[in-house]
Amino acid sequence: MRRELRAEWTKTRTAPGTAWLTAAVVVLTAAASAAVAATVSCPAAGCDQDVPRLGLAGIQAGQAAVAVLAVFAVTGEYGTGMIATTFAAMPHRGRVLAAKAAVLTGLTLAAGTVAVLASVLAARLILPGNGFTAANGHPPLSLADGPTLRAAAGTVLQLALIALLSLGIATAVRDSATAAGVVCGLLYVLPLVPHMAADPGWRRLLWQATPANAGLAVQTTTHLDDLPLGPWEGLGVTAAWAAAALLGAWLLVRTRDVRA
Amino acid sequence: MRAAIEVIGLRKRYGPTVALDGMSFTVLPGRVTGFVGPNGAGKSTTMRVILGLDTADEGSALVGGRPYRSLRAPLCQVGALLDAAALQPSRTARNHLLWLAHSQGLGARRVDEVIEQVGLGAVARRRAGGFSLGMRQRLGIAAALLGDPPVLMLDEPVNGLDPVGIVWIRGLLRSLAAEGRAVLVSSHLMSEMQDMADHLVVAGRGRVVADTSVADLIAAASDGRVTLRTTARPEAMEVLARAGARVAVQDRDTLTVSGLEAGRIVALLGANDVPFSEVAAHRASLEEAYMELSRDAVEFRATTPGDGTATS
Repeated sequence: MRRELRAEWTKTRTAPGTAWLTAAVVVLTAAASAAVAATVSCPAAGCDQDVPRLGLAGIQAGQAAVAVLAVFAVTGEYGTGMIATTFAAMPHRGRVLAAKAAVLTGLTLAAGTVAVLASVLAARLILPGNGFTAANGHPPLSLADGPTLRAAAGTVLQLALIALLSLGIATAVRDSATAAGVVCGLLYVLPLVPHMAADPGWRRLLWQATPANAGLAVQTTTHLDDLPLGPWEGLGVTAAWAAAALLGAWLLVRTRDVRA
Repeated sequence: MRAAIEVIGLRKRYGPTVALDGMSFTVLPGRVTGFVGPNGAGKSTTMRVILGLDTADEGSALVGGRPYRSLRAPLCQVGALLDAAALQPSRTARNHLLWLAHSQGLGARRVDEVIEQVGLGAVARRRAGGFSLGMRQRLGIAAALLGDPPVLMLDEPVNGLDPVGIVWIRGLLRSLAAEGRAVLVSSHLMSEMQDMADHLVVAGRGRVVADTSVADLIAAASDGRVTLRTTARPEAMEVLARAGARVAVQDRDTLTVSGLEAGRIVALLGANDVPFSEVAAHRASLEEAYMELSRDAVEFRATTPGDGTATS
């Protein structure tokens, strides 16, 4: 497993796209968070806003870069045929998948941490100017605050889980366009589905089952009782999706003929 | 001698297409084994099965007595070049070899060695995507040599090489075999094998049509035939037939004699005062021998209707 890890890290390190996409995770997350912070305001009378969640809203943009990073880690090899070289050099395919997952997780955790710290900092600087002051019940965003720290750390983990989910899907479908389409559907279209359900019970169930909805429960710091799932339970839903995708990928990649 | 590669009764179909139909052969160390056959004969599929990339429906393939996928550092056992284009074009040649080296527990020094060995030193830090096909073939060969393996397997390595490259690879493969390594080289062009291979595995329609040394294959195709030119045809025919030879008339003054070697023919004709102007061994080229063998094995030749179905 050490050799697989080292090889996959060397591959990742020497692919020009890695640096760009990692930077994109940070920039997109922080910029989108800052943009959201800049457009909301709180009147002097006070407002009922989940400030940490606002400050971390940039994950909606950053997760796309994470997904692309993860998808290309696999389909970049299938598209060029290099996957045959990879599996000839490392015939234990499960270990290759595990090594890819480990490298990707490390990279996403690092980029996600920087992205989240930058987002929190931006929100902390911008929000007071828009009326979010201690006077109306919104002290400056701080990671010393327990729920805020949980929201921030949970956002980093959610990004890593999205990377793993994307990796699993990409390994299963092998094609860039298909994988990107499926992942985008999961991240941006599936979250809308619960809203289409008329029955509240169904709506709740669908919400609970959607990674992009349930997973972001980890960002919530107010009205936790109104959530269909607790913050960590929500993150668990994304984790379950990621685990299922990786399991499916592993089952397929073990026995399938290697074709570009 | 322990076989380096053992292919035992491989069968595989892709949907309705039979790719392998009982492919069996062994590759021995110390010689270059040519793996020849028309396109679609199953050469590449066999190599993919040996490397554990594709799974056969039946049969097995062993490298050094073990299935490939059980090898711990496979590139140190078998160096393979299947498809020179199978790399990510944005990575430099050196970095491509570097991750491969790391996957086998090897270091950067070995990478620099093989880069020099294949003559890519000057372009090692250039993106492989900008390489010509010939340069990619050299990079692929560098990857195959990386683990200093006792077995090498190359699928159409001559493709895309210029004459200098062809001479280079021929010399390289011969010297690798001379070092005691087993070398399996596939090609759909028989002429490439004439100066490269010692032994030939001829494939057709997913199975082995012939497994023989190059010399034997030519001898078999020549069938010990001798061409005889003489102005005294009837006398010559009578003398030779009496000695047990089969004699066929080729034209007015030329006979093709089989069943007697040239020296004996000369002696017989001389002893019986039969005049002749030329006695020459009929020596078939490898190409001819191959055509003979693969006549039944060529899948895509023009056939009469109803003859195109797989007969296996």
